[in-house]
Amino acid sequence: MAKTILAVDDSASIRQMVAFTLKGAGYEVIEAVDGQDALDKANAYKVNLVLTDINMPRMDGLKLLELLRKLSHYKAIPILMLTTESGDEMKAKGRAAGATGWLVKPFDPKRLLEVISKVIG
Amino acid sequence: MVEMQPGDGKTDNQNSDQLVAVGLPNEALCNTEADEYFMSIKVELNQIDRLISDAVNNLVINFRYISKLTKSHHDMVLAIEKMAAPEGSKPIIELLEKQMIIADKIEQELEMAITSLQFGDLVTQLLAHTARQVETLNMELQRIDRQSNWKSEKTTMQVTHEGISRAVNLANTKSKRKPVVQQGMQMGDIELF
Repeated sequence: MAKTILAVDDSASIRQMVAFTLKGAGYEVIEAVDGQDALDKANAYKVNLVLTDINMPRMDGLKLLELLRKLSHYKAIPILMLTTESGDEMKAKGRAAGATGWLVKPFDPKRLLEVISKVIG
Repeated sequence: MVEMQPGDGKTDNQNSDQLVAVGLPNEALCNTEADEYFMSIKVELNQIDRLISDAVNNLVINFRYISKLTKSHHDMVLAIEKMAAPEGSKPIIELLEKQMIIADKIEQELEMAITSLQFGDLVTQLLAHTARQVETLNMELQRIDRQSNWKSEKTTMQVTHEGISRAVNLANTKSKRKPVVQQGMQMGDIELF
């Protein structure tokens, strides 16, 4: 059975590129436009991995990460940050909040798939 | 003050609506010329954002269509190869193999285009950051203009200089963190914790 990935980004083109890459590799993809939308979808679907942007309206990726880690199902689910942010301070915040990894945009499809395969097997 | 309207809904990032200038409250407006100047900059930033978003949307549509066509072409070559294989002539088989190599190369190029097509997101975030800087500088200049005695006869170059420096410093402090530091479209770093 295909694993499901929740892809969160306010940029439509990034969501499309992520979905194109992941679906091509056989994953099921659920798209969310911001942190709040992602939280709603995370509660409604069984997700195997979350790939989220940080700078988004309504709820940013760090807040989403923090809230997801409080949900029992998401305590051990890999959550990868995919962002333009590359500063150490932000990375430290993400790490402290429970991020599994940090990917700086732009992403390379092959490398993204390698990382995802590594964290969800 | 005129409120700038958002684009035609085609902006790539939802947070690009940060580019929309709400403008300063009327009571805070002190220097109309400066305010109009900053507003015109924001109008231009909005225009750039709309043009880029439109171009990105079109490119993504083209990308998806080319990708679908490539997959169909790939499948078709495979089907023809299967049909032609048992009694197919050598030149036909060779031609189909060449077709297959071309189809694979197109797919590889499309994969590489995925990285470049992310430029819209980076640019939109930078534009939003610049718009915030402009907005903050305008607000600080207005505030200093309101508080200072620039309009009095005692105004000196020194006072003007200090006022502008103070406004720039304040604006700089308020919008220091740049969301995008990438200088090119090379793949970004990856770190697993």
